[in-house]
Amino acid sequence: MIAMLLSELTSGALVAASDGGPLWLLALGPAGGGALYFGLWRYYRNTHQSHSFERETRIEAKPIIAHDTKVDEIKGTKKSGIDGDNGTDHRKRVQRLDS
Amino acid sequence: MTTLPPPGEGARPATNNAPDEPTANQTVNPTVNPTIDTRNERLDDGINRCPKCGSTEIQLRPSVGMLVCLFCRHEWAEARLDETIVNGDLAALRGTTIGSGASDIDTGADSLITMKCAGCGAEVVVNTDEQMGARCHWCRHVLTVNEQVANGAVPDAVLPFAITHDAATVKIREFAGKRRLFADRAFVRGFKPENVFGVYMPYMVVDANASADVAGFGEVKTRQYTRGTNNNKETYYDADVYSVQRHIDFTADDLTIEASSERAQMNAAANTNNIINTILPFDTANAVKWNASYLTGFTSEKRDQDVAETTPELEDQLLSIARSQLASSVDRYDRGVRWERERVEVHGTRWVAMYLPVWLYSHYQERGGKTMVHYIAVNGRTGEVMGSVPVSTPRLLAAALTVGTVLEGIVIAMLGASR
Repeated sequence: MIAMLLSELTSGALVAASDGGPLWLLALGPAGGGALYFGLWRYYRNTHQSHSFERETRIEAKPIIAHDTKVDEIKGTKKSGIDGDNGTDHRKRVQRLDS
Repeated sequence: MTTLPPPGEGARPATNNAPDEPTANQTVNPTVNPTIDTRNERLDDGINRCPKCGSTEIQLRPSVGMLVCLFCRHEWAEARLDETIVNGDLAALRGTTIGSGASDIDTGADSLITMKCAGCGAEVVVNTDEQMGARCHWCRHVLTVNEQVANGAVPDAVLPFAITHDAATVKIREFAGKRRLFADRAFVRGFKPENVFGVYMPYMVVDANASADVAGFGEVKTRQYTRGTNNNKETYYDADVYSVQRHIDFTADDLTIEASSERAQMNAAANTNNIINTILPFDTANAVKWNASYLTGFTSEKRDQDVAETTPELEDQLLSIARSQLASSVDRYDRGVRWERERVEVHGTRWVAMYLPVWLYSHYQERGGKTMVHYIAVNGRTGEVMGSVPVSTPRLLAAALTVGTVLEGIVIAMLGASR
């Protein structure tokens, strides 16, 4: 029954799209269903949870020492942000240098 | 850039604080590895008597965090570990200091300890892999293991349960109750939160004095504009690129790291150990010196990780803390920052092995030849609760299809109306 309903919905949507309607709107149904599945699954399983030791540990830090140098200019890029932005992903390790 | 430059010359402080703060790349003396003696010298292996009436029927009273004599109701507590060892300024911490209960495990050490009952003289064997006390089978006295043993079964300190069994049951019922509709039916049928059991889990609690250097690139937007006409308009950006380097000196107090190799394995596809990790932190400053009577009525898991084996996790956490601490210093890079290299230098650490209290409810799930144990865990001190509830895939799919279909119907109706 659900398959029949989806079939009717899809054929109707294709007619609408062929008349000039925005085709991307048709993705809203599958996207909404998928988001609900994923959201509920995470709410039940909590696989993304862990101890926030960065915030929940007593840390005392001295003033940060910074050294910033302009090295290049970018003109006319379509990208709204830097490639590989990991400024807020504190747990993603990068190349480790020996101490 | 291929290397991180030393901080100092040419550097400027990212904050308004004094720019001439020391950068403190201190020399570490790796030969200094002092041990803190945390043995509870007041207690011996064997009979652990009530200081008032001499009874051996002693257990923890979680609601007050005290040991209670079941005969005369006298209540008392062991001294806090923090009061018995010198803590000092963490910024002055150098080398590696280890509590005697966190010493390297002797894998050849026998887990079986034979104790002579002081009540009747009988010899009673305790398997320290599984329990830290036993009842004399002749005179019924309770015998406990109080002296630190080479197999790592006795830690430096224990943090007693403060949340009662009843309170933990309520929290687990409440947590699972919110997740009933799409839960696996076998979980719902077998749900008996009163079956929660209290377990002391082994951890290394670490103080650290460290420095970190991080380097990468940051971008600042200088211009935003559009090109094209009508429906073909596109947004373009100009930006300045900076080489970004940061150095930070910091101390961390009581980082808590799993000292059981099995619990330290956090793989969401294979286990739910992250659940137990999530209920951290504990108020470890209130941990008391070891007394096996705190474990009466509870189970415990023995430590199987030494300082050397948990050091990589410590360094990983220190790097994450450093990255988190310096995040505010790169706010000006509105197009983001890409860190590419990092380094941590640990100047000093202090390690203490500790048993921390966790209420655990578990559900064993077997599906498609794969097995998984789902935990709902309650922090035995703060009451923080977290859990993994197995889902009913058919119910979840039905809900997703229903919502997807309704949304699709609305979209089609809208498209139809706009024709």
